[in-house]
Amino acid sequence: MAKGMFVDTSICTGCKACQVACKEWNELPGEPSHFHNVPDRPYPVAFNFTGNSYDNTGQLSATDWRHVRFIEQFNESRTEARWFFSSDSCKHCKDAGCLNACPVKAIVRTDMGNVNVQQDVCIGCKYCIPSCPYGVISFSEQTGTVHKCTLCNDRIHNGLGTACAKACPTGSISFGEVEELKKNADKRLAQLKGLGFLKANIYGYSEAGGLNVFYLFMDDPAVYGQPINPVVPQRRLFRSAAITVVTAIAIAAAAIMSFRERGMQKNKEVKP
Amino acid sequence: MPDARKNHDTFKDFILTEAGPLATSYWGNYPKFAVSYFKAQFGDAGTKENNYGYDYHPKITGDHSHLPMFVDMMNGKIKGFFVMGQNPAVGGQNARFQRKALAKLDWMVVRDYFETETSAFWRNSPEVTEGEVKPSDIKTEVFFLPAAMVSEMEGSFTNTQRLLQQHEKATDPPDDARSDSWFTYQLGKQLKQMYADSPKDHDWAIRNLFWSYDPEPAEVANFRIKDEPSAYKVLKEINGYTWADKKPLPSFANLKEDGTTVCGAWIYTGVIPEEGVNKANNRQGDNWISPNWGFAWPANRHIMYNRASADLQGKPWSEKKKLIYWDPNAESKDPSGKTIRGKWVSPAGEGIDFQPTKAPNFRGKDNGIGFDWLSGNDAFIMRADGKAWLFAPAGLVDGPLPTHYEPYESPVANLMYKQQSNPVAKTWKIPGNPYHEVADPKYPIVVSTYRLTEHHLTGVMTRWLPWLAELMPELFCEISPELAAEKGITNAEYMTIETARGKVQAKALVTRRMRPFLINGKTVHEIGLPWHWGWQARAKGDVVNNLSALVADPNVSIHEGKVFTCNVRAGKRGGVA
Repeated sequence: MAKGMFVDTSICTGCKACQVACKEWNELPGEPSHFHNVPDRPYPVAFNFTGNSYDNTGQLSATDWRHVRFIEQFNESRTEARWFFSSDSCKHCKDAGCLNACPVKAIVRTDMGNVNVQQDVCIGCKYCIPSCPYGVISFSEQTGTVHKCTLCNDRIHNGLGTACAKACPTGSISFGEVEELKKNADKRLAQLKGLGFLKANIYGYSEAGGLNVFYLFMDDPAVYGQPINPVVPQRRLFRSAAITVVTAIAIAAAAIMSFRERGMQKNKEVKP
Repeated sequence: MPDARKNHDTFKDFILTEAGPLATSYWGNYPKFAVSYFKAQFGDAGTKENNYGYDYHPKITGDHSHLPMFVDMMNGKIKGFFVMGQNPAVGGQNARFQRKALAKLDWMVVRDYFETETSAFWRNSPEVTEGEVKPSDIKTEVFFLPAAMVSEMEGSFTNTQRLLQQHEKATDPPDDARSDSWFTYQLGKQLKQMYADSPKDHDWAIRNLFWSYDPEPAEVANFRIKDEPSAYKVLKEINGYTWADKKPLPSFANLKEDGTTVCGAWIYTGVIPEEGVNKANNRQGDNWISPNWGFAWPANRHIMYNRASADLQGKPWSEKKKLIYWDPNAESKDPSGKTIRGKWVSPAGEGIDFQPTKAPNFRGKDNGIGFDWLSGNDAFIMRADGKAWLFAPAGLVDGPLPTHYEPYESPVANLMYKQQSNPVAKTWKIPGNPYHEVADPKYPIVVSTYRLTEHHLTGVMTRWLPWLAELMPELFCEISPELAAEKGITNAEYMTIETARGKVQAKALVTRRMRPFLINGKTVHEIGLPWHWGWQARAKGDVVNNLSALVADPNVSIHEGKVFTCNVRAGKRGGVA
């Protein structure tokens, strides 16, 4: 049975406890690009103020496996106002672009459905990076390999939930069997719709073959920076291959045609 | 606490002033609490003849709350200062004033995990780095001592819900780091040794201070530090025990006026009801008020005056939410041991905040003392009349009814009421603490200060950790697009905020969450400043409290630095912060 997470963004408070719990459990450092050395200081100092609401990372990276997005939307008169929070991570897609792209099988799926990078196998070729439709997997200059959320592989294979879900003070992130989580998600969605939140939707039931980490959003996924109908590059293979074959046939035909024409011209030349 | 400003000249005056000769309500027990407290301080040396050492106990001599203390410090009245778990160089109102006051001390001891702004004020505060003050001119001798963190010591937390929760020591602190209780205990032991042979009468208190918290071997067996005082013994003394045979007291009803019991704080009695049992260790939760999780002072009462959860007849107001109620058939014993029927019960285990066998229909006696004066419906047992108060006719400096006052500094006149601001607010019109006029044209903007989830207070526990430092890396100022446009301030660029006390620079966070107000036909802008940062640590920024003024509420001296007036402009501050 696949394990996963349901992220109910409607009750996220943007506290970033998930970001910290993730780093603590997975022994990830402060993101190196966030810190600079300054004169007269024996330690580096953080300089990553983004100016984008309370967002502090802007993106997922090799050391930021969780990223809380802050979306402020106000009209000019402030009569309509909302401040959305959404904690993002690897979605452990059932059709995982990164896994498909890896030429050395460093990226594997475990018996619990989570997609992991085997650090001792990864050769740092980065093919997986453009293959992820969510921009999740990232390269680390320090290790020369790629990194991303493991769904706390060590925890879940020892009877624990993920660190972020454990730390979440509101229950916005819940960990469990994907099928069970879906039932909770459907119930919550029906409740919100009943309360008049008609734009509320579940993201991840069908995207990329279904996501083991899926979301309840209060508005279009695009508002939360998530792609609508993401396509794993490998799913374009058949069409690409077909186009290639058609193109090859066309070029061949054109070539033959041109030779024939030249042949005819030759014949013409020979003819006085 | 004995107070030199009140009629507390003798022990008898103290009791009469605090409890009165005919105290109604629970305060009829005051002499028992007082005697047991002084007995806890002086042990065998406290006798009936010397009023249990009352005359030797220090007395409060004035308003010793935070702001008046720093004013006294600035005036040279305070020579030495211990700072444990506090960082007034960042968190203190008018922080420049407070840092300059620190420079008037002879000595200061700071105990913390990292070199805080308070401990470093003499070498790299804004006043020093901007050349206003030279370290060589600061005479304060600063001692920085490394402190143990919470997991490196045993003890209990008491939260603002009155809940005590015990925590164990997981590991020894590194190197020379020690707990605050270790420091305090060893300091006390050394002082007692120094004064042991003093013949002076005014040294009686330190010579006779009861100071005996050496750990039992089992308490320190697993640790490198062998002289850590016993957290159990300290809590046991706070709880109270019989002086002769050292048996813990299960309830403050066991406290005596005759010097046979000791008790540091009667409200905690019951946390150690018998030897070896610490209710602060209880960890049985439920989905409601969890009466068996930790221990709520007093007497494990999570909800004060919970008699009020039942109606006049003692029946629960709500079956679903029943907490305590009168069971007329339950058997109990009266004080003389006679079996009687009827008592208050709490099936969930909640402490009952009422006399256990006083029936709902009991009529208070007109000439009664203490509880006898209160009826079976007088749920509010700590109030002299036993009743709930909708307003406070006594006990507050201001009041009795709430009203709207403008903050001490405001850009507008009070539209509700002719009194502009609280007439009894504590203010200090002294050099270094200038105030803005009401509607001062130089400072037309409201500044509201607040905290963020990501940092704790002045950030000593959060700004040094890379994981937390990167969450909110530096000081920023929330400002509306309207005000930003007016002042030419750009998002994520520097802006400067200025008051008569100081100026700070911050990155601008332009957001529509901040909105201009229209007050009496006038547009008033507000900015928001979270205040966790200082010049030390991995997340740093200017000290927001350089802007605030010394103003305090009249009752408990809570500062008013949450809102005041300022001006803003684009760009870095330049000059002294």
